[in-house]
Amino acid sequence: MATFLIFFRAIVAIISGRSPRIRTVQRHGGKVIAVTHSSNRDCLAIAKLIFMISRYDAPFSRKESLDSLNANVRDWFAEKYNDLTPPQLYSFKLIGEKKNLLITAPTGSGKTFSAFMSIISDLIRMAERKELEDKVYCIYISPLRALSNDIYRNLEDPLNGIYAKMPQDAKKISVGVRTGDTPQQERQRQLRKPPNILVTTPESLAILINSKNFAEHMKSVKYVIIDEIHELANNKRGVHLSLSLERLDDLIGHDFVRIGMGATLYPLEEAARYLVGYNEDNTERDCYIIDATWDKKMEYLAMCPVKDIINTSAETIEENTYKILNNIIKGNATTLVFTNTRSGTERVVYNLMKKFKYGEQDLAAHHGSLSRETRLGVEDMLKKGKLKCVVSSTSLELGIDIGTIDNVVQLGSPKSVTRAIQRIGRSGHGFYGIAKGEVIVMNRDDLVECAVMLDSAKRHTLDSFSTPKNALDVLAQHIVGMCLTKTWRIDDAYAMVKRAYPYGGLQKKDFDGLIEYLSGSYVGLESRHVYGKIWMDEKENTIGKRGRFTRLIYYLNIGTIPDTVSVNVYSEGNKWVGSIEEEFLGRLKPGDIFVLGGKPYRFDHSREMRAYVTRAESRMPTIPPWFSEQLPLTYELAVEIGKFRKKLSESMAKPLANRKKIVSLLKKNRIKPDAQSSKVLDSMPIDRNAKNAIFGYFAEQLLFAKHVPNDRLLLIEKTKDRQTKRNYIIFHCLYGRRINDVLSRAFAILFSEFYETDVGIMINDNGFVIVIDSGIKTNKKDVDEIISELTGKNLVRLIKDNIRRTEMMKRRFRHCAARGFMILRNYKGIKISVRKQQFNAEALLKATEQISPDFPILKETYREIMEDVMDLPRAKDIISRIKSGELEYKIIETPLPSPFSHIMITFGEPDIVMMKDRRKHLRELRKQVLSIIAE
Amino acid sequence: MKLGKDIDILEGLPILYIKSLNALVCSDLHLGFEGVMASKGIFIPKANLKKIKSEIVKARKMRMPDTIIIDGDIKNEFSNVHVEEFNEFDEFVKFLKSIGFKRIVLIKGNHDNFIDRYRSSTGIEIAKQEMKIGKYLFFHGEKMPEENLKEVKTWIMGHVHPAIAVYNKVGVKEKLFCFLVGKLGKGRELIILPAMNFFAGGVEVNMNRVRDISPIFKLADVNDMRALCIGEGETLDFGKVGKLRYK
Repeated sequence: MATFLIFFRAIVAIISGRSPRIRTVQRHGGKVIAVTHSSNRDCLAIAKLIFMISRYDAPFSRKESLDSLNANVRDWFAEKYNDLTPPQLYSFKLIGEKKNLLITAPTGSGKTFSAFMSIISDLIRMAERKELEDKVYCIYISPLRALSNDIYRNLEDPLNGIYAKMPQDAKKISVGVRTGDTPQQERQRQLRKPPNILVTTPESLAILINSKNFAEHMKSVKYVIIDEIHELANNKRGVHLSLSLERLDDLIGHDFVRIGMGATLYPLEEAARYLVGYNEDNTERDCYIIDATWDKKMEYLAMCPVKDIINTSAETIEENTYKILNNIIKGNATTLVFTNTRSGTERVVYNLMKKFKYGEQDLAAHHGSLSRETRLGVEDMLKKGKLKCVVSSTSLELGIDIGTIDNVVQLGSPKSVTRAIQRIGRSGHGFYGIAKGEVIVMNRDDLVECAVMLDSAKRHTLDSFSTPKNALDVLAQHIVGMCLTKTWRIDDAYAMVKRAYPYGGLQKKDFDGLIEYLSGSYVGLESRHVYGKIWMDEKENTIGKRGRFTRLIYYLNIGTIPDTVSVNVYSEGNKWVGSIEEEFLGRLKPGDIFVLGGKPYRFDHSREMRAYVTRAESRMPTIPPWFSEQLPLTYELAVEIGKFRKKLSESMAKPLANRKKIVSLLKKNRIKPDAQSSKVLDSMPIDRNAKNAIFGYFAEQLLFAKHVPNDRLLLIEKTKDRQTKRNYIIFHCLYGRRINDVLSRAFAILFSEFYETDVGIMINDNGFVIVIDSGIKTNKKDVDEIISELTGKNLVRLIKDNIRRTEMMKRRFRHCAARGFMILRNYKGIKISVRKQQFNAEALLKATEQISPDFPILKETYREIMEDVMDLPRAKDIISRIKSGELEYKIIETPLPSPFSHIMITFGEPDIVMMKDRRKHLRELRKQVLSIIAE
Repeated sequence: MKLGKDIDILEGLPILYIKSLNALVCSDLHLGFEGVMASKGIFIPKANLKKIKSEIVKARKMRMPDTIIIDGDIKNEFSNVHVEEFNEFDEFVKFLKSIGFKRIVLIKGNHDNFIDRYRSSTGIEIAKQEMKIGKYLFFHGEKMPEENLKEVKTWIMGHVHPAIAVYNKVGVKEKLFCFLVGKLGKGRELIILPAMNFFAGGVEVNMNRVRDISPIFKLADVNDMRALCIGEGETLDFGKVGKLRYK
């Protein structure tokens, strides 16, 4: 029956002319060549009608592609470019056929023209037929304002070239930029004479669809391009945009061709769904996916900066890292260096200048904290090829045109395969040049992580992203916006919202809850005129706009990026040493030691927006630095590392039989992989030092603990800190911090209840440690019992209770309340300071809970923390796999922490400048381990 | 918790009971807070009046006072009486009368401008700055009391919104609202009332400098004052503020 239905649908599709085959025949006037040429593809295409979202793997020929363009456009293109890049070999024709398309391809692959050529061709045809009017036909949306200007410039050249071939009086295609920076005068002009191609940002689009006058001009929109889709599909800003697109569709009464472009982003199907959304009957809209990610050649290598990464002093490692870095910079015309933090970026620039006498004309930093002018200046120098080297955190990862880069160096693990590919992919001369990258690691965990990361890249195994689902705060904004344009039947509004991919599964009761909230039903009738932003007619089941100021509120508070405040930090003698986030300050108590700009400081007190500290040389930080800056390891990469651990450790069992010899080699740092293990390690893109170090690391763990934790084995280690005698329960669960955050909190609560005491947590991507006072007796049986207590069900409850008491809850609640128009950032034109927005968040939370624990803003805050910040769904899955026995766990007891936990317990993240104490501690631990193995 | 023979902190409440006056004493209600905030673009749910009412009902059940003294800042706005404030103020006074208070005294605080106009319509007593009732001096606390009243032995004020911050072993901060009780010199005593307002942030007196908040701290050393904290259903003596400082 099912087969029949599928077949039937395909036939209906052909009859109704939706298949590419029919179009091909029509377009080419029945030319036989065209049909036979694409017949294979047609079969594919028919099959694909069943799967609404599908990959397109058979490129068209150059001729087919160019033939699909208008003659003038084709001629200009052919004169200018010899070849079409891989994405263009798909896109010219498919966009010409008005297909929704997701194109993912590396920088330099002619992505912009891939999308625009067919559109320009269409508009030129209209111009030739004198049908081109002063209306918007194409909207290009980019998350970066800077990119908007780039695009504007990039279109100027082809348009001039094409018009040079056309009659003088041909109507020109107009291009207009509309962002928050666009001056009032230009906006007015656009209202009078709208551009044919409108270049804008998600936020400006959301305002435009609420402008009655401008909306009229958009009725003729045929194409919408979303650029840098990887910057949007995984966050609330993108969720916001997806609703804007559905609103645009509703407003103009017809759908449009949707074209998404971006760098590497997996799974591509998820990105495509995000791009196109759903039909009215809840089926996915059609979309073709073109994946040209791997068409660019890449070479990469993970490097260990010294022969012995564990015994070498921090200074020497740093020294060697800079030496390697300098050699790379010298050996190439332009090098791009990535660090994982902004402070790291500054430090690397400072050290390179100091050590190797680079000047400001050779070397520059580029990161988000720098002023716009500085960043633009650096980009400009790069484009002109003037800089030898630029050091960046994330700001140069994507998008912006920075000219030619020969080599990329990554310092420390970038924590995700996708990010590694994106960063390394920034290098190489054009699309056909080879991208080159080196990853220099900082410690042994980092080393294993980067080795597996690059190996995964080689095997095209990427980590996945997901779109936040059913975000109620973003939806609240749009409901207000929707009510400003017209009166809605609630059911119609709900149906429209559900067409946006992130809201496909939205529950009606959640939608109704939002309407209640927005109509002010949580306060008495007498105050509703102040609180309500929409009205609701329960009898008629309709909603609409309320209040004089609502339109103003919508315009002034639109957007999803929360305001943050940085607090200046001063040390002795009122010397400014840097800034920290206000939320970070909220966590500090006098006496706490934290790291700022690579140096430890003791927090003394704060006044107004200033924090006062004193230098605390050689003190261990009491506040882990991951709190603010560090990126979490992705789940997929974590699992790959787990698999690698299994594979390598299984290859090692035998050669470790000669314990004495191995220990002596380890001590002398002469350890080398044997033949068996070499088979595993040799295929990996890592250098010799790295291979030896990884082998040695695994050998130590195996000899000491007999077990190497892996993707199938959760090792739980009961041990003690040698100095403080505190109990450590170490969970070697390598799943990344988003999951470990959930598991560690839940276990901490259970341990704390079991032993009736406060417990501490140390956590990183590789696992977590429960710290229990030395006075308390723990044993293996207790641990077993506690594990049996945790179920998927009580996990959610435990986590919710725990989250409720965190600073993060207050902070995120404020963000959600601001997005959901509960706490305005700007009211009646007056900016409300973050301080005021933040006033006693605890009381605000309590008051909200009194209304209902399901109050939309509250519900969204929990969702955001549990699903976007943490990864509760996967944590639940891990618990259920433990329960079912699919994931084996083993509890062992050790005299001191095993090697694989050393970095975990000397908490803090690997960074360029390593804390001296931390390394000393590490070395000490290792010495103890070796002496125990030798016994 | 007893504070001498005549004064009692009602367990777990931000309210004093004075036997000789048969009166409840509380401070810093900031009625109409939510409405005022809403008019500034912060749409917080209403919770303040409900909380205050329930605490006064509880207090009245413990003792049977016929007088209530509000030691300043019954409302929130400085510059005028916001309509939301008037609504809640009106409701509050009616509520007090309905549960049996015969005498309602308001000591004006820095937020209580323009409240005089409701004196006759509501029948409450309003003191401009401070008032001696029985052997006690009530004043709000943003200014020092008049010279002629400085001899009074027991001073009771609000204004500070005192709280203390404590950290548990894992570094999680808890904030507790508290009474501050201490000496003023010349054998005089000072009691600082906690804020009744639901949304009050509370000034962490063991973390911050308080000198700028009230001139009273020129006379009284905050480190020498005892913090009596409001817990769940009980009042807890945390000892001297100076001992609660982290360093």
